[in-house]
Amino acid sequence: MSRRELLRMIGAAAGGSAMYQAMNTLGFAAESPYRGPIDLQGAPRGASILILGAGMAGMTAAYELRNAGYKVQVLEYNARAGGRNWTLRGGDRYTELGGHTQQCEFDKDLYINPGPWRIPYHHHGMMHYTKLLGIPLEPFFQVNYNAYLHSSRAFGGKPQRFREIKADYHGHIAELLAKATRQNSLDASVTKEDQEMLLESLRQWGALDSNYAYVSSDASSDRRGYDKNPGGGLSARPVASKPVALHEILDSGLWSGVANGDNFDMQTALFQPAGGMGRIGEAFGKELGPLVRYNAKVTDIRQDDRGVTVTFTDIQSPGAPQTARADWCLCTIPLPILAQISMNVSQSMAAAISAVPYAAAIKAGLQFKRRFWEEDEKIYGGITYTDLPIMNIGYPNTGFQSGGKGVLLGAYIWGMRAMEFTAMSPPERVQKVVDYGSQIHPQYHQEFENGVAVAWHRAPFTLGCFGMWTSTTRAKHYDNLCQIDGRIALAGEHASFIGGWQEGAVTSALDAIGRLHQRAVAQGAAA
Amino acid sequence: MRNAALGLAIGAVLLLIGGLRADADSPLFTSRATLGSLNGEQIYAHICQGCHMPEGRGAVGAGAYPKLAANKNFISWRFVALTVLDGRNGMPPFGFPAGRGMDSGPAHLSDAQIADVVNYVRSHFGNAYKAEVTAAEVSALPHPAAELIGPQ
Repeated sequence: MSRRELLRMIGAAAGGSAMYQAMNTLGFAAESPYRGPIDLQGAPRGASILILGAGMAGMTAAYELRNAGYKVQVLEYNARAGGRNWTLRGGDRYTELGGHTQQCEFDKDLYINPGPWRIPYHHHGMMHYTKLLGIPLEPFFQVNYNAYLHSSRAFGGKPQRFREIKADYHGHIAELLAKATRQNSLDASVTKEDQEMLLESLRQWGALDSNYAYVSSDASSDRRGYDKNPGGGLSARPVASKPVALHEILDSGLWSGVANGDNFDMQTALFQPAGGMGRIGEAFGKELGPLVRYNAKVTDIRQDDRGVTVTFTDIQSPGAPQTARADWCLCTIPLPILAQISMNVSQSMAAAISAVPYAAAIKAGLQFKRRFWEEDEKIYGGITYTDLPIMNIGYPNTGFQSGGKGVLLGAYIWGMRAMEFTAMSPPERVQKVVDYGSQIHPQYHQEFENGVAVAWHRAPFTLGCFGMWTSTTRAKHYDNLCQIDGRIALAGEHASFIGGWQEGAVTSALDAIGRLHQRAVAQGAAA
Repeated sequence: MRNAALGLAIGAVLLLIGGLRADADSPLFTSRATLGSLNGEQIYAHICQGCHMPEGRGAVGAGAYPKLAANKNFISWRFVALTVLDGRNGMPPFGFPAGRGMDSGPAHLSDAQIADVVNYVRSHFGNAYKAEVTAAEVSALPHPAAELIGPQ
């Protein structure tokens, strides 16, 4: 493996948000377009809408349209509300495509979110609906300075504290830049006056000494941590730590993990619902009550000039196909499934539906006898990044110091490695996750009790994790996907520029029902 | 990476029985560096069977993964090769240019590998198409756009 390859690989593994950027080449600098509750006044009397899918998009739409006076029906394939908004808890059973059933054996109050697990503060739509539904939020620690950056090929495979790598990386860069500034190498680009300011800012930013050097000192230890922390009394005196050399940081590739919390979607504050992300879907489902029909597998979507008829079968008690009919249809079915459902829409919409590949992704939850990451390593929440195939370890952002057992996210994997994990049976996946994770936390083998591993390509209700757009497919298909086709509109994270995030589902649903509402109003009660 | 080809072959065997000791160089997990060494059978075991299942059984949920066993569409090698190259109905493409993908992103398979995996699935799981597709024939088919996916 070439050095360049190695760096690229570690960078890829370490860069939590690199995936989203690489796979969704547009739209990530944009803030959520959510601007407050939608106004759907003047719904025609008796107007009806059929919503396919009770995930975040479908239930957002159902909630708003019901409140606006529409007659709403929702058809959902699963036996529960939420879709990818989902939490696995002790006692839950999950059968993936291929037939493997996993029994979640977590203790009470312990859980794993196989799908989304964090809500950035600027996902205003998600924030609105969690508030509306009375869901308590907890902080989600995207960045934990005491969690690890790990390369199996550097530092003897020993994980490094994020704090140390970040301080040393910035410190060495500051020293280099200060040197260049003092040698006037920057001449034209920095004025004489600005040079003074730049030098002072570099000293502060990089924790340099009075000679603009990044060395072992109180200043650098105040960033990277001390060998012996300051304390009280006779044992109070701190002992400064020694920075890692620049070339070691560069060679390790761990520098690529430093900016993980700087991306817009990862910036503090982020939140998680207390008790699991699935609390949102559960609350939404409860709110909608009998409007949602579960266990309904859609097989045909047919529109005519007066309405839309959807054929479905009840997967719990299969019998003759049943139908549901309404004036309008909002379809949130994930595209790999929708592409296989017979539907009379325009060629351009059909082409768009077939044009979006769905990402592979794996999440594994592991229960341990004790919270050794807290007890032994003082890691309270946050994420460790590694070049190992498990890619991420996420520590629970709740229940700190609670004594008993704990569940952590043992792996969050995407891309090629996720495909390979998907190709294994669930017990093999869990075993591999434990094996790899023990390279970072040797306590794993001693403390591990049980685990679950969800492979999104094998999720019967999505056939993938999220839609992957490129600039080419965006240009060719995106508008065609989102355009209302007769009486049918689509929504979901796949119909958004916030792909892979729940906010994409919410905002696409609001956008689509706003446009459907306009049409319904224009056509009046005679629709 | 030492003995990559041998390691991968061993890995493919161990994949079936499990219990491989984990380490960073585990041949079970490919990287962009080692992915290129996989043959058709290994590609099926490492990648395709995640969705199409062992023995090409396919699966049915809200939607389906097509069964590859005794699949009538396989009479057309072009159909199979284009599906692997460009993806289809949500299936990720594997034919975008080398060097444009990431380890964490979709995998790149060479035209020779695509030919090999096409030949593998067309001659296994109850499919018995004799005609061998060549890398050159795969190369002649349309590939996904060069700008497709990759770090900017």
